[in-house]
Amino acid sequence: MIWVIALAVWTTLLVGARLAMSRDLFRVVVGLALISSGIVLMLFSSGRVSSAEPAVIAAGEKVLPATAANPLPQALVLTAIVIGFALICFAFILVVRVVRDAETDDAEDLRYAEPAPTHAVEPPASPEGCDPRHPLDEPRTGGHP
Amino acid sequence: MKRRMNARVVVLETVVAPLYWIILAASVWILLRGHNEPGGGFIGGLVAVGATVLWGAARGPSSARHKLPFGDPVLLAAVGVLASAVSGIPAWFVGASYLTHQSFMLPLGFTELWVSTVMLFDAGVYLCVWGAVSGFGLGLLAIDDDAGDEGADAAAPRARATTKAARRARR
Amino acid sequence: MAGTHDHSSGGHGGAPGVALRGHAMGLASRAAFTLLPAAALALLLWALGAFELPQVWRTPWVPSLGIDLAFRLDGLSALMLLLITGVGTGVFIYAGGYLAGHPHQRRLYGALTAFMLAMIGCVTADDLFVLFLFWEMTSLTSFLLVGFNHHDQQSRKSAQQALLVTGSGGLAMFAGFVLLAQAFGTSSISAIIAAAPAAEATPALTAAVALVLVGAFTKSAQVPFHFWLPNAMAAPTPVSAYLHSATMVKLGVYLVARLDPAFGAWDWWQWTLQAVGALTAGWAMVLALRERDLKRILAWSTVATLGTLVLLVGLPGAGATAAVAALLLAHALYKAPLFFVAGNVDHEAGTRIIDRLGNLRRAMPWTATAALLAGLSMAGIPLTFGFVAKDAINSAKAAEQLLPLVQIGYGVFGAIAVAVAGVAAIRIFWSHRGMKELPKAHEAPIALVLPPLVLALAGVVLGAVPSIARPLVVAAAEAMWPIGTTGVAGALERPFDHVLEPSFDIASMVGMLAVTLVVGAVVYFFWDPLHRAFDRVAGRLDWLGSAAHYARILKAIPRSAAFFTRGLQHGRLPSYSVALLLAAAAFLGGAILVGGGLLGAGMFDGAFAGGGLALPAWTPPSVAITGACLLITLGALLAGVFEQRLAMILCAGIVGFGSALLFLFAGAPDVAFTQFTVETVFVIVAASVLLKLKRLGRTTSIRDPRNRPGALLAALAFATAATLVFLVTGADPIDPSLSAYFSERSVPDANGRNVVNVILVDFRALDTLGESTVVMLSFLATAPVLFSLRLARGSRGKEPKR
Repeated sequence: MIWVIALAVWTTLLVGARLAMSRDLFRVVVGLALISSGIVLMLFSSGRVSSAEPAVIAAGEKVLPATAANPLPQALVLTAIVIGFALICFAFILVVRVVRDAETDDAEDLRYAEPAPTHAVEPPASPEGCDPRHPLDEPRTGGHP
Repeated sequence: MKRRMNARVVVLETVVAPLYWIILAASVWILLRGHNEPGGGFIGGLVAVGATVLWGAARGPSSARHKLPFGDPVLLAAVGVLASAVSGIPAWFVGASYLTHQSFMLPLGFTELWVSTVMLFDAGVYLCVWGAVSGFGLGLLAIDDDAGDEGADAAAPRARATTKAARRARR
Repeated sequence: MAGTHDHSSGGHGGAPGVALRGHAMGLASRAAFTLLPAAALALLLWALGAFELPQVWRTPWVPSLGIDLAFRLDGLSALMLLLITGVGTGVFIYAGGYLAGHPHQRRLYGALTAFMLAMIGCVTADDLFVLFLFWEMTSLTSFLLVGFNHHDQQSRKSAQQALLVTGSGGLAMFAGFVLLAQAFGTSSISAIIAAAPAAEATPALTAAVALVLVGAFTKSAQVPFHFWLPNAMAAPTPVSAYLHSATMVKLGVYLVARLDPAFGAWDWWQWTLQAVGALTAGWAMVLALRERDLKRILAWSTVATLGTLVLLVGLPGAGATAAVAALLLAHALYKAPLFFVAGNVDHEAGTRIIDRLGNLRRAMPWTATAALLAGLSMAGIPLTFGFVAKDAINSAKAAEQLLPLVQIGYGVFGAIAVAVAGVAAIRIFWSHRGMKELPKAHEAPIALVLPPLVLALAGVVLGAVPSIARPLVVAAAEAMWPIGTTGVAGALERPFDHVLEPSFDIASMVGMLAVTLVVGAVVYFFWDPLHRAFDRVAGRLDWLGSAAHYARILKAIPRSAAFFTRGLQHGRLPSYSVALLLAAAAFLGGAILVGGGLLGAGMFDGAFAGGGLALPAWTPPSVAITGACLLITLGALLAGVFEQRLAMILCAGIVGFGSALLFLFAGAPDVAFTQFTVETVFVIVAASVLLKLKRLGRTTSIRDPRNRPGALLAALAFATAATLVFLVTGADPIDPSLSAYFSERSVPDANGRNVVNVILVDFRALDTLGESTVVMLSFLATAPVLFSLRLARGSRGKEPKR
């Protein structure tokens, strides 16, 4: 059982990581979403997938039967899914904002935070003064067909 | 304007009103049964989000926003968190630690109703998820919606130049 | 008064009349400030008479760390306190006259007062960390005082240098203190001193002591940290006299003297102190020859004296201990007046350059008198306290076997000290050199004359009647002497019975004095030629000196910082992601390797190094689960293959729906339903983002370079390591106790039959509350971004770029 799930986890993480390292911002976010799916899957299954019986006590009973599924990882994963989704939305909104401001969705072109150096020691004075190929001023060359 | 009308499916626009309320009712039902059957605040909240996003897709995000309780997703989420937080306070009066839920039977004459602070807590989770996640959804829909006017903006180069000047001036 | 003279060129800037903002202080407020050290001095003298030493006062400060606010007043502390308050009174009076009318005089008084309080705390603290706190306070106030003339760049540089050197030394010392406190299990200084002689010299303890020594050496300007002290002469003269001669720079000596009873028996402690002290004593004196500025000459001789003090602490034996105490007192009594004299000359004649000064005794008779008295003491002429101290040093040296270095260092120190005393006391007041270049000099006002005269006179009086100072010196020496050196028969050994009594070996004493005086006189008379010759030679070797190294380090730090920052913060997002994933893979993989016993066996103990991790056995999976997993795998693979964004999010959606199916088949309808809803909303949201991007002109994704081996490797490593951890976890038997607890207590405790929901809203309600808060906050964080996006609608309008 666990080997099949492991295959799914491995593929999801691999593709997610590959996308997360991409140059394209949109794909980065999708990659993050895939990684988060893979991790959720992993967390859930580490509580053992053995039973299809929901972790609900039948009416009138007092104790969950031993044949039921493990409720603990379910509780953990449930909130993880919602929070993960909130963060993915957050990332999407940032992407839209960045694309609107910088007019690029190529991660290689985004050098707002760390503009190219202009001096051996001094930090670059302003984004305008440092990089002739700043995304605000120059149309992007590569990337789009 | 014409373009926007075309972009929407007319059928959806008419069907959405009853659908919205049905889905909302379902979400409340999911919320209420959650303690004993599958369901609960998180799922119920997400279902409610589905209803709101549906409304937003059909009739525009701002209409969906006004349809929300308190008319604002931030407020809704905040009220939700507050409700959850408040639900833990009664425990103090009986000397238990915070968020130890208290329940009692409320006699209604013909039957007894089981009332618990758990209900308030779960409802808070429901409202929080509903507010926050639908806020995200509506926000993203709204960006797209604004973009609908963009095709009409003919003076693009000039507008762009002014934006840049404004951006410089801000720095 | 002083305003009528031209004295703009000196080290004290901001002469009266220069338009600076601020208010000049009146006589009353100056007197009020001066009352403080005077009152402290009176209190101290009264306390010394009234109480038996040592006095201890302690109260818990940080009980969780075992740190007490502990103070202890013993002989050594009392001697230092006497210097601090006594010289302090003189300095406060002097500062009133020296900076009369200066707009920032109040600031100077404030900083001086803070400094004095820090010093008092420093020399009375009986806890390592309390001591450190006050120690750093002296460094900070010293920074403010050296940089008092902050409009002068040299002044700022000097202040920075003093702070950096003593501050980094202080950090080293702090590390040493932490190690010491750990080694002894207490941070109480007296407890450490009591315990140390019996302690074994472990590497940690040795490192601790070495680090503390670094701190002490930087503070006391020992070689190779000697260069900052002369530069600190950019400070106004009262500050130089107080901080850089009488008190602060003696803190290092104080610290080593304080710890000498603890570690004095160690060979390397003795050797280090002797070698560093002797080197400093000799070399600093030689460097004094290079200077033409009177204050800097005095500063170098101060460095040399500090070296001598360190040397004496390093010498074993009771005589050396007494000599430390005597020299501490003597130096304060002659060097502070000489600094005051230099300040007076600067103030009234307008320059401190010795070539331009001469024959000042006519213009400044009282200053000349003070200079002469102090100079006699510095040269060690009989009937001065300087002589008494010198005598104590000589008898201490006679009692020990000395390293040749110590002999040479001390010899050079003694001889040039005489020459420096000659320059400060005779050359500028009695010889006629440079007289013609002098502007009209006048005698300084009384506030500038009284302090040096009184201090110098005290030196002479104590020299004539050493028995006055004897109790103090003996008490200080006893504080530096190991505890518990009682005689065999239980009777206390009295090593200090004959302290400060003239040695009766008159012949050798006179002989030594004569030799020193003659050599000193020769140096004095040939000061100028020696200066020229030495300056020429030394000028070529400047690049070797520690000052040059300091400048190099100062330049290299921002360069290397820029180098590393730009290497790590290069601004390329994909490379950041690669680094992040590789790090995650390294941690996960490392855990596997260590847990599997393949790496670092023995590094960890207990559960973690169980060794031999197993992979789970193959069990035939159920059809439903297999289907769901295959769906997930397929979706993921397709998401990786498609370049089209819409196709990609649909494939990512397949992964989500597959997961939901799996949850459903695994008995988790709640999770399945949640995942299902989330996935639906995800696809809607992602599609609307796509639409938006399309309107912004970004229809297609950017193609990644086909060959990115680094990225592929990172992805493979990350996925494989994480999956391995998962598999290994799955092979171990699961511990069901927590799940069983929730399953059993759900109905009785929480009246709920849906165990998952009960866990969420009841058993772990606080966690859930936190999580819903996170959800709300993440939305709150996007609200401004969304708002700005909507705000920009009117002015936006960009052409889709093609």
